[in-house]
Amino acid sequence: MTYQDKTDTTEAQAVAAPVLELEGITVAYPRYGESDHVALDAVDLKIRRGEIVGLVGETGAGKTLLTRTVMGAIPGGGEHTSGAMRYNGTPFTDLPDDKSPVRPAKDIALIVSNPRRELNPVLTVGQQIVNVIRHHLGLSEKEARARAVDMLRAVAIPDPESRMDAWPHELSGGMAQRVVIAIALSCDPGLVISDDATSALDVTVQLQVLNLMKEMVAGSETAALIITRDIAITAHYCDRVVILYKGEVVEEAPRDAFFDRPHHPYSINLLAAFAHSPALREAWWDVPPLADGTRPACRFADRCARRQPRCVSEAPALRDCGAGRRVRCHYPVEAGT
Amino acid sequence: MQILRYILKRLLFVIPQMLGILFISFFLIKLIPGDPAVLMLGPNATADAVAKLRAEMGLDLPVFQQFMIYLGNVLQGDLGMSWQSARPVLSDLMTRFPATLELVTLSLLLAVVIGLGLGIASAMRPRGAVRKAANYYGLLSGAIPDFWLALVFIFVFYTLLGWAPAPLGRYSIMLIPPQTITGSVLVDSLITGRFDVFMSALSHLALPVLTLGLVNAGPILKATQSSMDRALGSDFIAYARMNGLPRRMIRRQALRAALPNIITIISVLYSFTIGAAVLVEIVFGWGGAGQYAVAGVLNSDLNPVLGFVIFSAVLSLIVYLIVDLLYFALDPRTRG
Repeated sequence: MTYQDKTDTTEAQAVAAPVLELEGITVAYPRYGESDHVALDAVDLKIRRGEIVGLVGETGAGKTLLTRTVMGAIPGGGEHTSGAMRYNGTPFTDLPDDKSPVRPAKDIALIVSNPRRELNPVLTVGQQIVNVIRHHLGLSEKEARARAVDMLRAVAIPDPESRMDAWPHELSGGMAQRVVIAIALSCDPGLVISDDATSALDVTVQLQVLNLMKEMVAGSETAALIITRDIAITAHYCDRVVILYKGEVVEEAPRDAFFDRPHHPYSINLLAAFAHSPALREAWWDVPPLADGTRPACRFADRCARRQPRCVSEAPALRDCGAGRRVRCHYPVEAGT
Repeated sequence: MQILRYILKRLLFVIPQMLGILFISFFLIKLIPGDPAVLMLGPNATADAVAKLRAEMGLDLPVFQQFMIYLGNVLQGDLGMSWQSARPVLSDLMTRFPATLELVTLSLLLAVVIGLGLGIASAMRPRGAVRKAANYYGLLSGAIPDFWLALVFIFVFYTLLGWAPAPLGRYSIMLIPPQTITGSVLVDSLITGRFDVFMSALSHLALPVLTLGLVNAGPILKATQSSMDRALGSDFIAYARMNGLPRRMIRRQALRAALPNIITIISVLYSFTIGAAVLVEIVFGWGGAGQYAVAGVLNSDLNPVLGFVIFSAVLSLIVYLIVDLLYFALDPRTRG
């Protein structure tokens, strides 16, 4: 069976299927003489058409690894051991492969952070956009160039015609970030993933860039996954929030419900870090350490203010608690507690 | 404009560089024991005759004064006489240096074709069979001496199979030499329409070029492989992949990023092989410049040695200037 057949049979379901569906994504790094280090553990994620989902987690939670797994570029010898990925119902495994039914940039586009290292230093900005457009949309050089200029204008780069001939090293960080966004949006992808794309920017530029992304998603059929360390961003720009902790989804909820009443102690932890109340911070951050050598079953137990003996012995499952919410905790903070 | 200024600046630096090279090599050569006057006059010469010749040749003067005299002559285009050939060194080198250049240039072209091709192919498929073969080849080419390989080729292709001509010079001694225009037998015979000489020269070039090409392909292969590996592992190539760019475009971008390293290795090899080809030149009776210089060293014939140093120094400086200009063209960041 060829890839083409698969696409045809799923065409009817595609309308109903989520834009991106991740099912039990597990990525492990083999270790010499030890059990594998599981960097992502059975991560589920669904993104529907027109939806903006925020994925929040601290450094090392596996946010970037998740995007790289989707993009088929797992760094440093990690292995995608199990799980399925579907785009509009079409399963895919290796996006960069020329034969993949789902194409990067055209279907799923990634906005990278640190774009000055990601742009090719010896090609002009224009050439890099034109390459992507020509390859995926099959336009002529002239049409592709015109589209590239339009894209640069759309991401509010001043004087786009002359910027086409600029070299990446001549751009400021904010400019380079916009170029990367222009590349990501240039082929009208069905899903845009922003991997911490704004964290390196000035706050004002960050705002502009995020507003721009939101506008562009709203103006089309695109869905977006915004990955960030900054939970405040999700409050402003996302429809749904997913919290990742040490490679596991610990909470998932619609935005308003989440900020109104977060269920998982880690979510409260994150919010408390931004709160103006020192009392709140102390209550959630001052946690007595575990006894030396204890390996708690719940990955958050060592930092949890609500820790019980059960948390050390039994790993909590991610369970549904209605209204589109899921939480991975034995003792979630629910109404009345 | 900027590039012209750069070239001028580089050419200005050539003067002190050349002076330094000449100075050092002159004194190093003077350190070699051996008296040309004794060698020239033979074992039966009287002490008086030797002293007289030494005075004639200026060998009795202090070394620094000898150097100044030599420098003065060089500036007037006089590289002195070789007592072995009894001809001016300049005219000797004008016929011998092109022979070496022709050999080394063609050999390195072959080495680049092999090294670049295998290097790129093996970097693009890290687990492929080509990679394994290329790794063995890199190891072998580093371990096999070129003169030994040359002898094996002569044994197989001349003695056993009879495909190659006798390893004696640049073309068959039965042919009348073509008029010298550029010094390259291939080019000169083509210009003058001497196709018999052209074909003969080609067949005489085959084995030495194959020898030097196969040996020198090793370093080029290794440099290509490792810098392609690094380029393919870089962030911008990962990004290009995540943008779904096709394989051949990824390969081109990676090669472009790897090119400065590869060019460096090729240029170093080129300058180095001009002298290092001497063993292969001897095996094939090539009559090249390296052979000439080595004979000079062995016979205390200093002028050919110094002349060879000057010729190869100028050539190296030209090669490195070209390399710098290539960097300039390849990397927009160096253009400032």
